[in-house]
Amino acid sequence: MSAQAPLSFEDIKVGEEFVSPGRTVTEMDVVLFAGLSGDYNVLHTDAEHMKSSQFGERIAHGLLVLSLQQGLVSRIAPELVELPMAELGWKFRGPVKIGDTVHVVARVSDKRPADRPGWGLVTVERRVINQRGEVVQEGESEHMVERRLG
Amino acid sequence: MASASAASPPPRTERSSYFEDVEVGVPLETPAMTVTAAHVSLFSGLTGGAPAADPDVVPDLLALCLSSGLGWRVPRPPLVVLAFMAFDWKFHLPLRIGDTIRSRSHTAAKRSMKDGGVVFEERAIVNHRDEIVQSGRLTLLVAKRKPA
Repeated sequence: MSAQAPLSFEDIKVGEEFVSPGRTVTEMDVVLFAGLSGDYNVLHTDAEHMKSSQFGERIAHGLLVLSLQQGLVSRIAPELVELPMAELGWKFRGPVKIGDTVHVVARVSDKRPADRPGWGLVTVERRVINQRGEVVQEGESEHMVERRLG
Repeated sequence: MASASAASPPPRTERSSYFEDVEVGVPLETPAMTVTAAHVSLFSGLTGGAPAADPDVVPDLLALCLSSGLGWRVPRPPLVVLAFMAFDWKFHLPLRIGDTIRSRSHTAAKRSMKDGGVVFEERAIVNHRDEIVQSGRLTLLVAKRKPA
């Protein structure tokens, strides 16, 4: 999977789109992520408190869903997510609840030469979509990519 | 001199900070934490991320996730965050297993809304050499204090 040579700037096709498989977000994902990150906010950990909230139940950490998104993209375009990220702009549009199933649509939206000689910048738009077709998160990543010599 | 009281102390409950308590410009610094191979294994297994070409490199997003937990460990009662709305983030330097990170932050601005308020937080993750590895701005929706 990651045995292939790293992508060079010239290999990247603007407009190319990737659609990931789905991933059901489970209680175990949320509990593990709370333990790993140390974010025990009641939004994610107190089922009783959340019954009376606007969501009616616990919701997944936004950064958990963002991280699952990265994993999903790596299953369809590993060469793309291996490119080091320079910037990430992200919006959390709506809650992801335990039992929701999300998938990702990623699209290479732009590429241009970087200020640093020998390098280029590539923009990837990503949308995280739930089982009802609602965009729950979206954003853009910028990647520094080496240009092929010669 | 006060004598020892027979009355039991009031119960200890988790105190909270609300939108009204947030002070613009006040610097906050978290304790430090060493990023281990266990963190990377757990994160990669949980998220299904492809293994990095260099196994000593910490996934970019893991550092951001760890800073979210560190953010609760500051000398201020926990902020009642209703929602994480957005962030704009820059990755300056790679992080390696064994590096020790902490996060520094301050509120850049706050804006009152009808139900709660929006807080714009500037945050930098620094390593044990005091180099900024990642930094950016986070937008949070924070609860207001309920009227007494």
